[in-house]
Parts: sequence; structure tokens; C-alpha cells
Amino acid sequence: MRLLTSLLRRMLLGLQNLYEGEGGSPAKCCVLNPHRLLRRQNFSAKVTATELVSYWRGVFEANGIPEAQESSEYIVSYVLGAKTFHSLGAGSFSSPLTLEHRQQIQQLSMKRLQRMPVQYVLGEWDFRELTLKMRPPVFIPRPETEDLVSLVLEEELQRSGSPAVIVGHQCPTVVPHPVILEIGCGSGAIALSLLSKLPKSRVIAVDKEEAAVNLTRENAQRLQLQDRIRILRYNVFSGSWEQLLSWGPVDTIVSNPPYVFHGDMTHLAEEILSYEDHGALDGGNDGMRVIKKILALAPCILKDHGSVFLEVDPRHPEMVENWLQNHPDLSLSISATHKDLFGKPRFLHIQKHKAGDRINKNSFACPSIHLPGVSC
Amino acid sequence: MKPHRGVGLFRSLLANCFHRYHHHGSPLVKRIGHMMELSIFRRNYLLNIVKPTLSFNDWSRRYHQDFRALWKHEAVEKYLKTLNREYQRVGQLLNSGSMNEYDQSTLSKRHTHLSTLVAAFQEIQEAEREVQEIESMCTKLDGRDEKQLLELALEEKEIINQKIDTFCKKFFQSIVPREKHDESDVILEVTSGRTTGGDICQQFTKEMFEMYQNYADYKCWTFDILNYTPAEIGGLHHAAAHISGDCVYRYLKYEGGTHRVQRIPETGLSSRMQRIHTGTMSVVVLPQPEEVDVKVYPKDLRIDTFRAKGAGGQHVNTTDSAVRIVHIPTGLTVECQQERSQQLNKEIALRTLRTRLYQQIIEKDFSQKQNARKLQIGTRAQSERIRTYNFTQDRVTDHRISYDVRNIKQFLCGEGALDELINRLLESAEMEALIEHLENFKSLEGGG
Repeated sequence: MRLLTSLLRRMLLGLQNLYEGEGGSPAKCCVLNPHRLLRRQNFSAKVTATELVSYWRGVFEANGIPEAQESSEYIVSYVLGAKTFHSLGAGSFSSPLTLEHRQQIQQLSMKRLQRMPVQYVLGEWDFRELTLKMRPPVFIPRPETEDLVSLVLEEELQRSGSPAVIVGHQCPTVVPHPVILEIGCGSGAIALSLLSKLPKSRVIAVDKEEAAVNLTRENAQRLQLQDRIRILRYNVFSGSWEQLLSWGPVDTIVSNPPYVFHGDMTHLAEEILSYEDHGALDGGNDGMRVIKKILALAPCILKDHGSVFLEVDPRHPEMVENWLQNHPDLSLSISATHKDLFGKPRFLHIQKHKAGDRINKNSFACPSIHLPGVSC
Repeated sequence: MKPHRGVGLFRSLLANCFHRYHHHGSPLVKRIGHMMELSIFRRNYLLNIVKPTLSFNDWSRRYHQDFRALWKHEAVEKYLKTLNREYQRVGQLLNSGSMNEYDQSTLSKRHTHLSTLVAAFQEIQEAEREVQEIESMCTKLDGRDEKQLLELALEEKEIINQKIDTFCKKFFQSIVPREKHDESDVILEVTSGRTTGGDICQQFTKEMFEMYQNYADYKCWTFDILNYTPAEIGGLHHAAAHISGDCVYRYLKYEGGTHRVQRIPETGLSSRMQRIHTGTMSVVVLPQPEEVDVKVYPKDLRIDTFRAKGAGGQHVNTTDSAVRIVHIPTGLTVECQQERSQQLNKEIALRTLRTRLYQQIIEKDFSQKQNARKLQIGTRAQSERIRTYNFTQDRVTDHRISYDVRNIKQFLCGEGALDELINRLLESAEMEALIEHLENFKSLEGGG
């Protein structure tokens, strides 16, 4: 009798699974009890990757997990040793999964069911060419930030590539070893990308959180970039700026500071609110608390004509410009605003002008005509 | 002034013969007569020589003979004579030393090129003379005592003949016009055809894609999958890969086209379906351009992502990194979702887009220049079946050169058997290109 009911149940659930597979909304019982479906999955001996992806998508959808399809694909591919479902080897789609794989997928999917971000579930994510370890609560780098790195790279390559312009201003003919400071390094994504792309550079990476400092260090070692990076625990509000000068004044400061307006924090998704460090997101009432602090520090740390690259909220470029005009003593001005891939003004390129330039206030709008790559 | 005119005349005579053909337009009747002669020439003579037999065991021997036969042909003789003449006159002009630097350098380049040809040509003539000597000697040798000597002489003759065969082959290969993109990397796309029976098309597409993957391995090339869309019932709908390495396009260009499969579906069908089904899949091989070849302007692009809506930045944490790029002027659309990094996906998509745009350019190029070529190379006009894989008879047939291979399994491993077929195709195409080249030459000679 028991055998019969279990058979009947399997038949029913099988039917339901078919229904999901055709893109219809999954049956209601998943919402109530995903565990019942899990059991069914363990019963059947042959499950392929494709089937498992659509199965977990159904479970995620039924439980209101965002990006159900993507989450399911990433988890299954990760367990099978690939980065995305599309890069999964040809044979892997239809061959049955081992019990071990299925259990691992189930384990990870249970974490996702708790709204844990996929990057934390897998414990790793890609940033440009690098694969980095990810661990809560250290901030997960966003795709926009990949472009911030591109901007810094462009600037550095341009500087070392056109020595003639620099010669005229008594700078060394080449910039052999640019020193870059990253404030708020998190997982180390920006710092390590720059190091890997600029083989002669050195980077000082600081963060106020122990967890972030440790994760950056781990990632640097995994990528064997630890020799050209100094990783410090440092708080811009309490630390003394001399600590940052262990390699002398720096050429470039780069930062993806917390820039979410405090009022917007409550609108963030549960993945972010429950798992990521709020300190890496909350920029205070105007989203500029840390931005202002960085800009106030910059003149002391930067070489003449040094640059600050910041990722900001689309409302910020104008606000920062006004703020800088009210603080002429900082000798800083925005030399360019760049849009992100989605067309939003997202990145600020700010430059320090030479101490002498400060006398003439009119030069403020166009302070550094001597440098390449500046649009005046 | 005089030498200049000489050089100019020379060029119009040899290099830009087309001009001459058009300018000195012959009367219509004569032209038609000439064309007829050309087509007869092609069908009755050259192609008969070249056309391989159905049994392929002795193909490679025949192939040598083909070149040898070509060597004897009057058109070739004429061509060689002209080459020789040109060589001598270029030499004279160079010695006279009375021309500007530009002409000097173009002429000396031509001179080195010709000198290698002439040297090879003379080698062959030399060898032929030797053979003649031996033959004439043989006719004199009839006494019994001289039987041993005769055998020796015949042996010697055989060796020299073989040498001539190789010389001929080498010589003709050096005058075959080279393809512009032979050195390029390629993008290879496979697409399954409409299914008539079960999953055979998708299944076959998957096997084919794996075959090319193995072949890349066999040739020590790099095989990067760009996208892979599996069929739900198993098998493969569509996939693309970027293959880089030594002369990839040269070897893969004749793989483009429709491949037909005939087999009994393997899985899960009612007995009604258990009969031989015919299905197809198509392969497209695009030469991959160098970065500089195609300019893509950012203003012409629309980049779609799934992240585009909302505040973006720190406000959201989404993982969908797929990127779609639309090239607005042409409407071309490319997608990439291979990578977890959006930036990498964008770069790959841009690379694919450049390849597609480049493909459009060279397609135009091809259709202008290569209308007559029988083996349709690299173009998308690939409606014609190029090869059949008959599983029930365990046989692969290439329809272009009527070539049969037994043992499909081994063939689909993408190793020696496939390589052998590809080389046959290449040789046969080279032969065709050579004939076309010589025909063009002949028509120019005769057309004035």
C-alpha cells in the first residue's frame, strides 16, 4: 500500500515537473514545501544538468527568489566545474549527474533560498579577467566597477605612453612605477585588476573592515600579486594620512566609496540588506560622506597633477562639482565625467593641480591643460 | 622616358592583362567563339584530367599524374614561355638601371619571384632531357649482354620520373594563386537542420561540433566555445567556436556547407519511427579578422543588458551578465553569455560583431572576384549538400570530389580520416584554381 502511494506521488510530481518545464507557473505546493520536491529529486536515479536547472528554477520562482533561472544555472554549472551554463562542456548537458553533485547543488540552492547572493553562495565571482573569492559581509563588486578599472588603466597607459608631454613640465620622462591608492578595497577587485594589468605598478589597498582586508589579502595571494600590494586596515575618518605615504605621494587614488543615499537604503533588495556590509554602501544623507573625506585627503596624498577616480551615484557629479567649487583650497577639479555601460553618469575623474596654479582662481575651470587626456 | 614606357607596357602585358582584354574588345562573334572554345577546353580537357575516379585508393598517384599531364599541356607551355620571356626582360630592364626607385623595387621583387619559378622550371626540363637520353639509349640496347644495363637504365628512368612528378607538383603549387585569408583564425558555427525524424539532426550537430573540437586538438589549435545552445531532448541546436592556430582557415574553409545525415534514430521512438531518417546540419566558417580590419564606432552600437533598468551601481546586485550588442547601421545582433564578467561578455560580443561585419565585406569581395569557382568557398551560399554521413552503410561521402570514407565513428573522431579528406579537398581546389588561373591567362593571350 505504501509502495502504491509513493508511486502515485512520484507520478503526480513528475507531471508537475513537466508542467514547469514548459514554462508555466510552478504548482503551488512548491511554495509551501520545497523539501517534498527535493525528495523526489533524490529518488530518481537519472537527472541531467538541464533538468536540474529547470527544477531549481521552479523552486526558486515558487519561493520568490529573484533571478531564478540565472541562480539555478550558476549553481549547477559551478558544481559541474564551469563558470556559466553556456560554457558548460558539450557532453555535460545531457549526461546524468552523480549523487554527490546533486547533493552539492542542493546544499548551495538551500543557501540561495535564504536570499543569499549567488556570489556568496558560490564563494567566488569574476571581475574582469580575475576570479575572486567572495565572502559575506564583504561588498560584492558590481559590473559597473569593471569600467572604473578601464578608466584608470586608460589614464595610466596614456601617461606612460606619451612622455613628451610630461618632459615639458620637469617630470620624469617615463612613469616607471605608478603608485596607486585604493580606498575601501573590499574583496580587492579594483586593486588586483590594476596590478594584473599594469605589471610595473604598485598598489596600497586600504579598508576599514578586518574582513575586507583579510579577503583582499587572500585574493592577492591566490592570484600571486602579493608582492606589489600593501594592504592596510585604515579608516579615513580616524587614521592619519601619513600612514598612506609608505611609498611616497601617490599618482592615482581610486575608490568605489559607499555612495547610496541613506534614505535609499531601505529600498535595497534583501540580498544586499541581509548579507552585505552596510558600511560599504551607506553614504550618509547626501551619499557623499566618504566621498568628501577622500577628496579632503587627496591633496595631501597625491603628487602634482595626480588623479582621483571615483564611482558615484548619477546625482553626484553635479553635487561634487559644486562642493569642490566651494572648497578651492583643495586644488581639485573635475576633469571628466564618464558614463557607465547603461548610460548613467557614474565615474568622476578629478585632478589635482600644481600648487602654483591655485593663485589664479580663474584657472579653476581649466586647471591642468598640461596633462594629456584632459578635456577642457 | 623610354624605359618608363617599357615598364608600363610590360605591366599591361603581363600583370594587368584584364585591361588589355577590355580595351581591345574583339568583335562579338569572335568573343562568343572564344568563350565556347573556353568552355570546351574546360570540360573536355582539363577537368577530365583532374576529375578523380570513384575509387580512391590510387587517388594520390593519379593526382601526381594530373599535374604531370597538366605540365604537358599547351596552355601551360605557353604560360611558361611567357614567364621565361618576362623573366629575361625584367632582368634586362633591371640591368639597364635607368628607372626610378619605385619601379626598381617592384621589378626586382617580380624578378626574384620569377627566378624561383624559372629555376624550378629549368630543373624539370633538365630532368626531362635526362629521361629522353635514357630512352634513346634504351632503344640502342638490345643485345643479351646488355640486358642488365637495360634494367639499370629503366630503374634510373623511373627514379627521374618520380622526381619530375614531385617537381611538377611543387611547381604548380607555387603558381597557384593564394587565398587571402588562409592564415586567419576562424569562427565556426554549427546549426542543426529541421528534424524529420526524432532527434537525429540535433544529435548529429552535436557529434559534428565535437568532431571539429577534436580536429582542433589534432591540429594543435585552440578551440574556444563562444556559445552553445543544447536541445532539450539532448543534442545541439546551435553552437559557435573561435578557433585559432596555424592556417586554420585554410584547412576549414571547405567544411562550410550543408552536411546530410542518414541514420535510424537511436533513442526513445516508437517502432513506427525505427527506419532510416534523413536530416541535415549546416556549418559556417568565417575567417576571423585582425583587430584593425574593421572599424566599429561606439555611436553605432546599442548595448543591451539585463541590468540596464533601475538605479544600478551599488543599489543592485544582479548576476545576469549576458550582453547583446546591436550594430545599428546594419542591424546585426550578437549576444554573449559565456562569462560571469559583463565586461568580458561585452568584449567577446564585440569581437564576434567585428567578425560578422568583416564577413560581409569579404562576401562582397568574393562574389565580385570568384564567381566561377566551383567549390563555393567560405560564402554563405551553402544551400548545396557537400557531404553525406550514412550511418546504416557506415560511410561518409564528399559530393564535391566524390570521395568515400568507411568507418564513420573513426571519421567523427576528427583525426586522421578527416584530415585526409580535408587535404584531398585542398588539393583538388588548388588544381581548380590553377586551371582557372591558366585559363584566364590563355583567354588573355588569345583574346587580344
